[in-house]
Amino acid sequence: MSDLLDLARGITERAADGEEVEAYVTHARDFSVKAYDGEVESLSSSEPRGAGVRVLLANRIGFAYTTDLTYEGLDWALGRARGNARHATSDDALAFAPPWEEPVADVPGLVDELQSSVAPDDKVAFAVELEQATRAADKRVRTVEESVYADSDVEAAVATSSGIAASYRETDAWCYSLAIAEDGDDTEVGFDFDLGRGIGELDAQSTARRAADRALGVLGATKIQSARMPVVFDPYTAGQFLGVIAAALTGEAVQKGRSLFAGKLGQEVAAANVSLVDDGRVPGAPGSSPWDAEGVPTSRTEVIRGGVLQSFLYDVVSARREGRASTGNAARAGFKSAPGPASSNMALRSTGESRDDLLAKAGRALYVQDFHGVHSGANAVSGDFSVGVTGRLLDNGVLGRPVKEVTIALPMLDILAGVVAVAGDMRWLPFGGSFGGATTLIAEMTVAGA
Amino acid sequence: MAASGGGLILSLVIEESVVKKVLAEALRRGGNLAEIYVEDRSTTSLRLEDSRVEDVASGRDAGAGIRVIAGERSSYAYTNVLTTDALLEAARAARAGLAGDPAPIAAQMSPVASGARHPVGRAPESVGAEAKAEALQAANESARAAGAEVRQVVCSYADVHQKILVAASDGRWATDDRTRLRFAVQVVASRDGQIATGFEAPGHSGGYELLELHEPAAIAATAAAKAVTMLDARPSPAGELPVVLAPKSGGVLIHEACGHGLEADTLVKEASVYAKRRGDSFGSDKVTIVDDATDGGAWGSYAVDDEGVPAQRTVLFEHGVLVGHLSDFLSARRIGHPPTGNGRRQSYAHLPLVRMSNTYLLPGPDDEDEILRSVKRGVFAASFAGGEVNPATGNFVFGTSEAYMIENGALAYPIRGAQLIGNGPKMLAVIEAVGGDFDRGEGVCGKDGQTAPVTTGMGTTLLGRITVGGTET
Repeated sequence: MSDLLDLARGITERAADGEEVEAYVTHARDFSVKAYDGEVESLSSSEPRGAGVRVLLANRIGFAYTTDLTYEGLDWALGRARGNARHATSDDALAFAPPWEEPVADVPGLVDELQSSVAPDDKVAFAVELEQATRAADKRVRTVEESVYADSDVEAAVATSSGIAASYRETDAWCYSLAIAEDGDDTEVGFDFDLGRGIGELDAQSTARRAADRALGVLGATKIQSARMPVVFDPYTAGQFLGVIAAALTGEAVQKGRSLFAGKLGQEVAAANVSLVDDGRVPGAPGSSPWDAEGVPTSRTEVIRGGVLQSFLYDVVSARREGRASTGNAARAGFKSAPGPASSNMALRSTGESRDDLLAKAGRALYVQDFHGVHSGANAVSGDFSVGVTGRLLDNGVLGRPVKEVTIALPMLDILAGVVAVAGDMRWLPFGGSFGGATTLIAEMTVAGA
Repeated sequence: MAASGGGLILSLVIEESVVKKVLAEALRRGGNLAEIYVEDRSTTSLRLEDSRVEDVASGRDAGAGIRVIAGERSSYAYTNVLTTDALLEAARAARAGLAGDPAPIAAQMSPVASGARHPVGRAPESVGAEAKAEALQAANESARAAGAEVRQVVCSYADVHQKILVAASDGRWATDDRTRLRFAVQVVASRDGQIATGFEAPGHSGGYELLELHEPAAIAATAAAKAVTMLDARPSPAGELPVVLAPKSGGVLIHEACGHGLEADTLVKEASVYAKRRGDSFGSDKVTIVDDATDGGAWGSYAVDDEGVPAQRTVLFEHGVLVGHLSDFLSARRIGHPPTGNGRRQSYAHLPLVRMSNTYLLPGPDDEDEILRSVKRGVFAASFAGGEVNPATGNFVFGTSEAYMIENGALAYPIRGAQLIGNGPKMLAVIEAVGGDFDRGEGVCGKDGQTAPVTTGMGTTLLGRITVGGTET
């Protein structure tokens, strides 16, 4: 534990007069195995480590990273960060995290202590079981494109020349399966996953079943006639939708004119039953940590309450621009990137219905299980939302005819205003963040098909 | 001898004797092949937003990955500690689970005759960060001069210098030295509550001379003009319509809808709509599609791939007929063909995957103005924001970032929110005209969690009928 922290401190202690230095150092142990046709297809193990260094000098910040953690390697990074700072624009909002006034509490549930004693053979056996169970789920499952088990044990340390010095550890284990089902001329794919802090929290059989069911459920899918109709997002697509709007809910996105929510603080931006919370301290949740990527303690922020926009999410710099404190929402894509604001664990609060009640309420609707082309069809600046979908027609609460090659469209603010119900079946989706997806009913969207 | 002939280009000195020791260790418990991939990568990037140069970053990332192939199984371990001990430990991790007798390695390493390296006119390392920051400022000023509607400008500059060594127990010894550079401008414009964006991002395999071929101010002006034009956009129609694809960006449809399904890893698992279809005709004789990693200076080019196989040009469709595929070492072995030099990896931390390089619909016989004139009512797709495809089904969706309504053979007005939705083989069947006005566009392709620089390209192309998803029913 302390080795990494010593390394981080060793960098910040080299700060020259008049400058501040921040070091972020990680050391991971990663493992993954992919099974195909009952055998190991590939297996990977590694122990990557690296350091990212920022220097704040005369209201300018420079950054450099290195995988060379020798004294010379770290000196190179510090020197480059210092040199880079000279070419940035002077900005008096720039700062590193303020020193902690009190000790920061741990977030429970980030480490499964049993995980480090799991034998590689058990991990291999898990991936093979997942692949075989996906194949065995139904005779129409023709092949399994990928079945993967993976885990990671990461220690991260942060230090600043103003006195922050902390480290924490987290373990993660996850698996996923990609089933390909065929019936007659039609081929469809189904993806599902499971995640936890250790292999013991993963269930190969139910993950396989869900992946197969997602493919089987849309076999024989066809277009439907263009229409305006109610739409239900399943937990998977509901989580993806949150991921899209999350990008527009940081203070930085608003300050820089990159948000559809700009100028809407205190206004109604969603139906009255919509409440959206970001919480970096949910025990065990994928996006949880005691402090964020700048070393600021994480917190819980009500973003939307009763349909009214309450707050954006901030890192140190975007907060200073508005004379407020960071909400502990700085994130990094590892030691190679400088921090920037992002959501931690973001979820809509359930409106109380069960999934079955919600489906019954939907009447005749389009049930969406996959979005296609989200990164091009969803624009968090303009609020445009137009994506391809695969799903089923819902009729009186029953999933019926499978549907594909149609698009759904509606401006994002109209989608939020059209939220009728959010079911209680929330699960965390770890794709590009951590988003709580629950079955969600939208009053009406444009469906374009034949 | 590799160490003298092929030459160790890396500043990290890993001697041939160490490489052989590591490969022997990797095969100590059996296996068919062991391979080491060593990479030393330096990057510089700068970003401007809100008229401020914000992120000035340098990076140094060096490491090695060791792969052991035993039957159908690949085991991989990597380290970013480049000592002999750490490499030997990675070799032992890569052979974990094997229990056979030691397998031999080649007595001599033989340098691979690689394709041409892509020339670097002006090494980015020789240009100071100050000049790069000034280029961003020039782009910013140019974009902001496009009109009061311009609300935000984000400019970024990035150069990457990557040196690699691939050596394998079969004697393969290959090196490459790649420099890539890209300059991107994104402009956000708004007027009366409408918001529109414009994006332009040329890149190449080469040096700082990119910014002489494409001046930052000109790149920014193009992006800004797109954003301002799209402010006038009306909602896109929805339904089946003829679509004209503009050169350059339109090539992303070929990449997604045809290229991915011809990557041999999907073919051998029969997870591709094109599996077992070689020799079948999918489109008219105007449809010839190639993947060409040798294209001089193109963004997706290289001299050897990340498995040490020389870059090459592969014909995928010839006059509408499926004739080729793309492969890496493993998928080639399974399919029973030599590898096509398309084994690429994001870094030493990644196993190689079958990837495209520069994928082009070759120029056709038609005149671009004639193509437009032939459409009574349809959509002109000028730029795409991206897209995705499911190789198993061939289904794709592409979002436009700049599109126009065509009425009576001419562009009538810009439209927003237009998505093209369809199926790869079906799309090839409706390519009715291909223009001679070929141009390239640069992008970053994602697959299995790895990214790779790729180029797309085509001339003005007419799709007779395809589903357009929009907001107006």
